[in-house]
Amino acid sequence: MENRREIFDNLKEFLKSAFDFKENSMHHIKKEAYDEMDNFMLLCFGDLLGIPVPTAYYTLELLPYLAEDLEGWERRIMARKSVYGDRWGDFCC
Amino acid sequence: MNKLVFFGGKGGVGKTTASSAYAYHCTEKGEKTLLVSTDPAHSLCDIFERKIGSRITKIKENLYAFEIDPEEESKKYINNIKKNMKDIVSPIIVKEIERQLDAAAVSPGSDESAVFDKLMEIIIDYQKDYDRIIIDTAPTGHTLRLLSLPELLGGWMDKLIEKRKKAMELYEMATREDKKMESIIEKDPVLSKLNERKAKMERAREILTDGNLVSFVFVLNPEKLPIEETKKAVNTLEKYNIHIKELIVNRILPISSEGKFWENRKKLEDKYMKEIDEVFSNKQLIKIPLIDEDVKMDNLRHISQYFEGLD
Repeated sequence: MENRREIFDNLKEFLKSAFDFKENSMHHIKKEAYDEMDNFMLLCFGDLLGIPVPTAYYTLELLPYLAEDLEGWERRIMARKSVYGDRWGDFCC
Repeated sequence: MNKLVFFGGKGGVGKTTASSAYAYHCTEKGEKTLLVSTDPAHSLCDIFERKIGSRITKIKENLYAFEIDPEEESKKYINNIKKNMKDIVSPIIVKEIERQLDAAAVSPGSDESAVFDKLMEIIIDYQKDYDRIIIDTAPTGHTLRLLSLPELLGGWMDKLIEKRKKAMELYEMATREDKKMESIIEKDPVLSKLNERKAKMERAREILTDGNLVSFVFVLNPEKLPIEETKKAVNTLEKYNIHIKELIVNRILPISSEGKFWENRKKLEDKYMKEIDEVFSNKQLIKIPLIDEDVKMDNLRHISQYFEGLD
């Protein structure tokens, strides 16, 4: 009986991971990814917020590729009540 | 001396005079010489009494000059980005971003980076066209900063690349199911731009610390402050593995200094000359006297004679 129970539990765990019920793991990864993107933007364009960045001149050439994200990023980061809360990941997922 | 010669020193000690005279000396030896000024307050044009500006200007047989204009260079860079942007971004966003670019172009860090980029471009592009490239730099602080830029920015670039990669990897993981194309990391234009920039920094660092390609010469006067500053600068450069072998002691008073005031000055100077001889005993000293007229093209030849001992 014990044995069967264990097998059943393991099977449940396996299925949960394999088919990703409620997309839980994807959700976490996505959130983490968006947070990282925001952090990258901060390292590139901290100047816009008054944080001096030594490479500010050189990250300007990235603007054409990041311009679409810039507006949203600025809005998110300006609206942050703390440095930890309210990140991109918290908005979308 | 090596092919690339940087002239540095405290403000007002005679860097431009010394570098111009040395350039003159090189052309007299038949070397095709390019004299570049990185000081935003250019004074090459005053010595040669003609407009030079940010293009290669022929001064005389075998002697060419260039004054880097930071504003012009950063404007060129920004305009290039704007042009590039029009192909990628929707027109609505372009307007907004252009405003930000214009603001960034006049920010304090931009000039420094623009001068650095242009200098490196000149060195890399013209190295094989000239026998000698002489760089007249801005006062010491600027020069040291210029030399530490590749180190500092290279580190930042590494961090940026690492961050971007991590974000892209996560992003790729999160969206794997609907994308079976080649890796998004490989074709990320941001990463490739960053890598390009990093390679340029690396190249600049290699050039500036190549002891067989670059020589640094410091100019000083036999006075207290220039001596102290030179000591510090020599030590700082050692840290970047740049060794100074030659120093130019400029504006030495003539021996026959008449009058109480000049006699006292001369006595003071003798003391400092002795200090220079002691402190910098392992360096070759080139001693240039004070002259009684403005430095112009016609007395450069006279001053250039003091460089006779230099190869």
